[in-house]
Amino acid sequence: MNAATHVFRSTAGARRGERAIFWLFRAATWFVLLCGAAVFLNIFVKGSRTVFKAEAPFINTTFLTEAPESLYIFEWEGKKREMGDREFRAFKEQNPAAAHVATESYVYSAGGIWPCIVGTVLLVVGSMTIALCLGVSAAIYLNEYARDGAFIRFVRLAILNLAGVPSIVFGLFGFGMFVIFFGWNVSLLAGWFTLAFMVLPVVITASEESLKAVPKGFREGSLALGATKWQTIRKNVLPYALPGILTSSILGIARVAGETAPIMFTAAYVVRDKLPWDVDRLGDFFFQGVMALPYHIYVVSSKIPQNDYTERVQYGTAFVFLFIVALIATSSILLRNHLRNRYKW
Amino acid sequence: MIETSPPPQPAPPPVFAVQKRRLRFLGLTLDDTIKAFFGGNALVAVVVLALITVFLFREGAGFFGQNRTNLEIYRQAGLEYVDFIRRQTDDHTALTRYLSDLRLRQVMILTERERRPLDEVNAALAPFDAFAEQFSATVDPLRALLSDLTEQVTAIKTKFIVTQDRKEERRQLLAEGKPAEADAVKIDTIDFATELKPILGALPLYKETSREFSRKLVALLDSVPSLPSPELHPRMEKLKQLARNYAAGFPAIERDMEAWEHTFPVPAWETFTAFLFGRQWLTASFWQDWYGILPLLIGSLLVSAVALALAVPLGVGAAIYVNQIASTREQRLIKPCIEFISAFPSVVLGFFGIAVLGQALRLLSQQPWLSWMPGFPYSERLNILTAGCLLALIAVPTIFTLAEDALNNVPRAFKEASFALGASRLQTITRIIVPASLSGIISAVLLGLGRVVGETMVVLLCAGNRIAIPDFTSGLAVITEPVHTMTGIIAQEMGEVVRGSIHYRALFVVGLVLFVLSLLINYAAQKIVRRYKLSIG
Repeated sequence: MNAATHVFRSTAGARRGERAIFWLFRAATWFVLLCGAAVFLNIFVKGSRTVFKAEAPFINTTFLTEAPESLYIFEWEGKKREMGDREFRAFKEQNPAAAHVATESYVYSAGGIWPCIVGTVLLVVGSMTIALCLGVSAAIYLNEYARDGAFIRFVRLAILNLAGVPSIVFGLFGFGMFVIFFGWNVSLLAGWFTLAFMVLPVVITASEESLKAVPKGFREGSLALGATKWQTIRKNVLPYALPGILTSSILGIARVAGETAPIMFTAAYVVRDKLPWDVDRLGDFFFQGVMALPYHIYVVSSKIPQNDYTERVQYGTAFVFLFIVALIATSSILLRNHLRNRYKW
Repeated sequence: MIETSPPPQPAPPPVFAVQKRRLRFLGLTLDDTIKAFFGGNALVAVVVLALITVFLFREGAGFFGQNRTNLEIYRQAGLEYVDFIRRQTDDHTALTRYLSDLRLRQVMILTERERRPLDEVNAALAPFDAFAEQFSATVDPLRALLSDLTEQVTAIKTKFIVTQDRKEERRQLLAEGKPAEADAVKIDTIDFATELKPILGALPLYKETSREFSRKLVALLDSVPSLPSPELHPRMEKLKQLARNYAAGFPAIERDMEAWEHTFPVPAWETFTAFLFGRQWLTASFWQDWYGILPLLIGSLLVSAVALALAVPLGVGAAIYVNQIASTREQRLIKPCIEFISAFPSVVLGFFGIAVLGQALRLLSQQPWLSWMPGFPYSERLNILTAGCLLALIAVPTIFTLAEDALNNVPRAFKEASFALGASRLQTITRIIVPASLSGIISAVLLGLGRVVGETMVVLLCAGNRIAIPDFTSGLAVITEPVHTMTGIIAQEMGEVVRGSIHYRALFVVGLVLFVLSLLINYAAQKIVRRYKLSIG
């Protein structure tokens, strides 16, 4: 809208004022983006020093594939040396004189974060499976079967309110119900259900949106041909809604992977030697606690001092975690934009 | 026998050309079963909400009973009585602190402004130091008495706790079906009246000590040395006044102590008020545990207030910009970026706060050109401001997305009509678009608030974790103080408490408060949207 085309022209001063205020809005917007970029770049730049190396294979495989260890720093023959726990023990066996050398040590600062990555992946896969089963079914009922009424309004209200419940309250609930009342202790299963219930509103809302986007004609055509309701839904609604449901639910995955508070007392261990598949019986698999990336970040950033040695593992973990979450989020956003353009009825 | 005609035969079913056989199970067709299955899943949200309530109550409800016992023993064992004296000595400590603060100011003035060497300053302050020493020594006899009494009442309390443990032991033995062992557990009965006799008997001694203390204090105030800098004289006068008021309060304390009885009942509501309005959250202390939610609630609210103060202008401003002003290309760039920010895990932001932002903000606060800001410069790296800034980054995407939706819902016709009447773009935005979507924007802000209040990791890592009500006397400077929050305390202490203990239950009650608070915020947001929705069309 060009001001010059108005019959009643605004004065130059007013226009200048208007432009100044618009610039203010623009500044606010870009300031937010700048802050986000600052956080991201800080972690990206400092974390990439841990995760990447200058020589082939360019990726720090030790960091990604080993368990956390304590870091020992000591002076030996005039040189400063840093060693992980196991390496240091081997070194002491080789050089018995090193047994009494004065060392500085920091827990979790050497080795890698492999068990945390595994734990996070297990938590995400399990809880999203539960959440998708429950959430998609609920959305099908709400969108396909339910008629508006007091009951449905009540259900919708519950979903809306569930979305606003703080994550730490879900943690308390999971602790009270799964860990103590059901006696599952700190376990994968307890973490799965806690996280699944937390993300349920996101999945239901996303699935409903996708179901709504399928045109009514699809259903009517199918029903008119004599299909039952379930046949209609299975053959003519779900296939078209499924891509949308999955992509929107990816945002839920980002949320599940990113939350720390609900798993603090339900599923996460500070440290655990065994990897999740080192179990005697299959049943034990579900009742074991795991290490998880977000909880590991919390532990390394609050329980050990900040210095050059510990910074590597702190930033490295944050980088890997942020990278995973960012990957999930970006793919969700891109896929959704792609689908929006593809499915137009 | 009466002959009855046979019942009329039902009409034969009509014969359709196409027939569908329906399997029935418990009277339900397959379709009905599927519908019921989906309906059951839809109920999960309701069930989960109910279960959360049930389990928070189940674990938390015992708190109030246990806290009542906690308060009762505080009274019966005479801890409350001794706390009268403790408060008196604590107030004296506050006055001594005021004096040392005064000395610090004086030294600052003399060394920095007048550039005098340190030993000369110390020499000039010698009479003041002598006075301060005498002043702080006046309380010593009272303090000695206090520590005696403290030991005695702690012994009574320990005795009580031991009998409680024995009772519990016996109960468990009985439950296990071992009556013989249960009888062997000896339980002493405590007669609080006799136990407390020596303590109450110390009242005359206390009166004497206290009066002597008061006499010395007032006598000392007549010989206050004057400070070298005249600008500090009003402060000295204020100290004198404070000390006189303090001494004048002694008879009231005496009267309270005389009137005190260990048999005063602890009414049931007191356990609720002690929780809701308690100003202390003190656990695992050797003296008395307090579970008052006020410091945590205030901490949570202050952090949220700072976060919203930053996030509302930014979030709403960005929403208006993107929705009304920006070009389509800019829109397409900005929206995914802000959505991307919302995917930042909060623990990563918390780590960023510890590693970078806390230090950066402290350095910024120490810049001379920013000294006009309230509370600047400050020295605590992790405080309300640090946590608030990071929480703002969490709240902005929420507020932005919802506010943008609200702006989008304003019908095009409103805007067109406004332009047709000759309004400028700015006028259209401020007078038409924003008012029309105000309810949506407010509910966006409320949901942002809900997000911020419930956020755990950022405040746990960055708010400083000091459990105390911050000092409001310095106005806005309160935002540079460290606090602890409701979410933070649960996350921090839940892993360390004994299951079933009063502390454990107290944390569940805090969780319950959080839960109710989040429901209220949600309810308000929905109410506003429905109540003030413009009837469009």
